[in-house]
Amino acid sequence: MGNPTSNSTQPLPAGDSSLRLAQVIGSFKLPMALTIAIFLLSFVPRIASNPTLAASFWGAAAVLACWQGFMLFHLARRPALKDFTSAIYSQHYIQVLVQFSVYLYWGYYWRPVYDHFWLLVGQVMFAYTFGMLLSWSRRRSYMLGFGPIPIILSTNLFLWFHDDWFYMQFVMIAVGFLGKEFIRWNREGRSVHIFNPSAFSLGFFSLILIATGTTELTWAPEISSTLTLAPNIYTFLFAVGLVVMFFFATTLVSGAAAITLFGASALYAATQGVPYFLDSDIPAAVFLGLHLLITDPSTSPRTPLGKTIFGVLYGLGVFALYTILGWLGEPTLYDKLLCVPLLNLCVIMIDRMVRQISSQSLLNLWNPAWFAGRSNIAHMLVWITFFGLMSLLGRTDGQHTGDSVPFWEQSCSEGLPNACDRLVSIESTYCNDSAAWACNELGAHYREGLIVERDADLAFGYFARACELKFQAACGNLLQEESTLRAQPLELDLRLMLRQAGLNLMDLSVPELNARACDHDWAFACEQRQN
Amino acid sequence: MSKNNAAARTEVDPVLQQNLDYQAPGRTVGIVVMIGLIAFTAAFMTYQSTRLDGTSKQSDMPDGLSQSSERFDAAHFSLPRDERWGFVAIPAGEFTMGSNPLRDRMAYENERWSSTQRQGRVDLPTFFIGRYEVTNAQFAAYLKETNGSMLAQFTERLAMDSQSTAVLEQPVTGITLPQMLGYARWLDAQLRLSAETPTELRELLDADGRVVLPNEAEWEKAARSEDGRTFPWGMQPSESYANFGGSALMPVGSIDCNTCSYGLADMAGNAWELTRSPLQDYPFSLDQAPEALLSLDSLWVMRGGSFQDGMNNVRTAVRGAVDPSVRNATIGFRVAISTLP
Repeated sequence: MGNPTSNSTQPLPAGDSSLRLAQVIGSFKLPMALTIAIFLLSFVPRIASNPTLAASFWGAAAVLACWQGFMLFHLARRPALKDFTSAIYSQHYIQVLVQFSVYLYWGYYWRPVYDHFWLLVGQVMFAYTFGMLLSWSRRRSYMLGFGPIPIILSTNLFLWFHDDWFYMQFVMIAVGFLGKEFIRWNREGRSVHIFNPSAFSLGFFSLILIATGTTELTWAPEISSTLTLAPNIYTFLFAVGLVVMFFFATTLVSGAAAITLFGASALYAATQGVPYFLDSDIPAAVFLGLHLLITDPSTSPRTPLGKTIFGVLYGLGVFALYTILGWLGEPTLYDKLLCVPLLNLCVIMIDRMVRQISSQSLLNLWNPAWFAGRSNIAHMLVWITFFGLMSLLGRTDGQHTGDSVPFWEQSCSEGLPNACDRLVSIESTYCNDSAAWACNELGAHYREGLIVERDADLAFGYFARACELKFQAACGNLLQEESTLRAQPLELDLRLMLRQAGLNLMDLSVPELNARACDHDWAFACEQRQN
Repeated sequence: MSKNNAAARTEVDPVLQQNLDYQAPGRTVGIVVMIGLIAFTAAFMTYQSTRLDGTSKQSDMPDGLSQSSERFDAAHFSLPRDERWGFVAIPAGEFTMGSNPLRDRMAYENERWSSTQRQGRVDLPTFFIGRYEVTNAQFAAYLKETNGSMLAQFTERLAMDSQSTAVLEQPVTGITLPQMLGYARWLDAQLRLSAETPTELRELLDADGRVVLPNEAEWEKAARSEDGRTFPWGMQPSESYANFGGSALMPVGSIDCNTCSYGLADMAGNAWELTRSPLQDYPFSLDQAPEALLSLDSLWVMRGGSFQDGMNNVRTAVRGAVDPSVRNATIGFRVAISTLP
């Protein structure tokens, strides 16, 4: 996997204080340089354009500088020279390449990702400096490699703060590194961290954001919903996921989680008549999570059966949390984040449970001498076959039943489970995307009080938004409250609401648009198509 | 734990081992720091949460915005200080709507009643209309109660526009039709709730009346009276009675116009006034079903011209139109209390 090489220092000569101080300062060159670089980054136009954002970088640099100053002060009196150990692990740089490719592809279709570049660079510098100072404060050599980069990249694939609150991003990174350093246990004779560092900080911050109702301070909702703007994102994630699976034998974890979620979704849909997740069998962000968030070998089980159980538990956890969060009225986007730290805590228990199984055949169920002992290849082939089948059945990329608003309207009117909640949810999403029709429908729901609690002020707000978007029925609803006006979606509404899988429909011809709308069960579009 | 310590000891840098008196921060310190950071985050986010709640609903209003003046009373939603809080009664009856090009050479085609008729007669029930256009201070009072975050933007914009307190008595402009309707809806609720609401206003509100923007006919009748004036002050053009052909808004009612129809101020010029009528060809009808709206373009009629316009656009029959999302520094509104849909 890697080749750690120590760059140990020699004992310092006693007595020559100026030489000693020079050597101590010399050993801090790298963190000092990175701290200065963080400060200088604040002058990049992207960062300098927002005073709070720039101040966040100054604050981060100041904290790191103070920490270095404190250490220098002590070390000058009592020399304890700091050093590095080179630790280039393939699992780190391959993960970096995979994550980077996700950013590149996703960002091509959702530009805020590219705008985030300098902020990512700043976080990586902060992570390196923080890690060095933490290790040295703990009297340990710093393992210099690519380690911090995947932590930063995977954190930012799920959550980052808006510019005005970006200082919290540095706090989040600090919490992740402190958790990695201090929350450890002895596993198979080695002291290892319990939690996946990014999942640990993401989990804690998710809880805080939920408890305080401050999700809007972050980009989390946009992040979780814009992955699908990139066409064929499932296939893309599947492909890059194969790279991780190939090199690090994580197939059992990811595959088991995905198969569990696909299975549970299918079972729910078959018994209840409506999809479980809003517009997919597995939300794209969850699909990303099960490839990148739960596959850290240090924080997942070692045995094949243990890995499988771990993956299944993640799938079930996400499935349950989606309902629980929805039931609590909280953003469901946290479903993929909250269960990872809990699962990390269960790793030893899972390993222990698996070891108690006396049946060797059960223990080796997933690990027979397939492919001359290369069982991971066999697992991957099973996963590839399964994903291929799901794709052929239209359960990954492409149109999904839940994409159709008329489907949810019909399901809601038939009283199918959760259908009305999903209808309101999907209309809220489209209203936020400036689809006037959806805003007017939401206003109508809140005025009528049939599927949501009546709220005249909220209704007025939705009608106002729709009216500003030139939806005449909504303007009429603002002017009179005795009845509720409804109308078919405008052409622009259709272009916004039929973007499933993130297609840009702005240039689609009207006949093509109507054909697409007809495919999504819009009856009026079918009539127009025939005419 | 002892195994952990043993493992940790083996990892200690040899240089550091020379300094046995050096006390590196232990796990306890680290965990305390980490918990401290998490606690700080939780506390900070709780604070942010209360801040967000506060600004999304009610908000402190800058002192200047909530001060009463000689003409306006902050205790009564910054409405005018008179016995009907600035509302003027327009008696029931017919009036002439539209333009006759034979009498008004500046008439536009869309002011014609029909292909066979130049003007029409419209019969309206009694209604009240504001003597003045709605002011910045009145709109700020509404935002204070309902939308703190928008109030902050609004007061910031006012400060940018002018350092003078006179800006508070200027007509509110740069807001959309739904925002105007939101103000009217709020004022309706306030007038119904207030024990001090003038009796005449309350009686009309109780008789199925509501505070709303005037419709085209109500506005035109209020502007031209029953004698069918071309301008609010009479038939002849004059630069003495209205703020038009100029460069800036003026506080409402700045120009004295005793001869103006029903004593209303600024029915010509100062700010265009949006109405609750969608743009459609005359003849004007009071009996349209709400559904008729759906077949019309999303354009809403505004009346009266603005400080930027020439004489031809401040006539009582002029019909401009904008879409409901337009925010323009020349477009404001006034409110009415009407029993019509």
